[in-house]
Amino acid sequence: MSRYAVNSLLYRLKKDPTYRAHFLREPEAALAGVDLTDDERRAFVARDARRINELGGYLHLVMSVPGIAGH
Amino acid sequence: MGRIVFAGAMSHVLDPDYYDHACGAVGRRMVEEVMREIRAMGDRCVARRPDALIIVADDHLNAFSFNAVPAFCVRIGTHVDRMVQDEAEAFDKVLEGMPARYPLHESLAGGILERGLADNFDLAFSWEAPLDHAFLSPVNTMYGDRAIPPLVPIWINCFVAPQPTAARCLALGRHIAKVVAASPWNVAIIGTGGLSHFPELALSRVGETDTVFDRRVLGWLGEGDDEPLAALTADELHKAGEHELLKWIVVAGAVTPARAELRYFGELPRINLTAVEWRLA
Repeated sequence: MSRYAVNSLLYRLKKDPTYRAHFLREPEAALAGVDLTDDERRAFVARDARRINELGGYLHLVMSVPGIAGH
Repeated sequence: MGRIVFAGAMSHVLDPDYYDHACGAVGRRMVEEVMREIRAMGDRCVARRPDALIIVADDHLNAFSFNAVPAFCVRIGTHVDRMVQDEAEAFDKVLEGMPARYPLHESLAGGILERGLADNFDLAFSWEAPLDHAFLSPVNTMYGDRAIPPLVPIWINCFVAPQPTAARCLALGRHIAKVVAASPWNVAIIGTGGLSHFPELALSRVGETDTVFDRRVLGWLGEGDDEPLAALTADELHKAGEHELLKWIVVAGAVTPARAELRYFGELPRINLTAVEWRLA
């Protein structure tokens, strides 16, 4: 489990609207260069907030990324 | 000689729409009730004419990235800006419509920083970090349209493990009190956040609180008894969803042995909305 990779990706999705738009449009392409495990990648592609949180994604980020926000 | 003239602690997502969405009509009613109490606390704070307002709050990975996670950070400089986000979600939404810029109390912030370094209390410092709801929601609720005094924002790392200990937070409060006492200013201090919510920071447990733990904490605060606060472990705080109590402990450390009076306690499924005010000599 790479807690840093998951959270730095969440942080980028929260703060960078251009990257977020790319991710929401083409998640697999947007994540291509990101160092994630297969599990982590699947969770992001599915926008599965609960799974991202279980994989170490910081709760307040998971709850506040537009388009993913699970709350 | 300087004095702490007002001390309080309160929940910090003060947004009727947020709680209406999260908890329904009861959420809206309760947050409006706690906001009325916080506004009344603001009335008493204004009446004591503080020269500065210290806000002890936390970062929700808004102001600081993974570039650095300071255990304690004091904001220095002449002014600070409200955080602006392109599409705010959830608790970030409450910031919209608040004033964009706030003056800082440079000398008091500098004193907390420099005297700390001399006394082996090494805070991080920032010229740039903006303020999110954890700071500005309580302040704007307390002050409304009235002039907000120069601020001294202090961040406590409550969420990104490993966090500073409860004992160290209490010691930070003592340090702040020492700096205020040696200054010429009347100072107000508030701690924001809590009480119990988001146990273990698990999305699957959003909606759970720990009222027994909250009542125990409020009992200690009411007695002015800070020893049990200092003994709380990171594991206990994490399990009970009391991560944000660390900031209340800083304020307790600054005013002990003053006793806190409960101004509001409202049990919601998502969080126990709470406000306390210390009775100062």
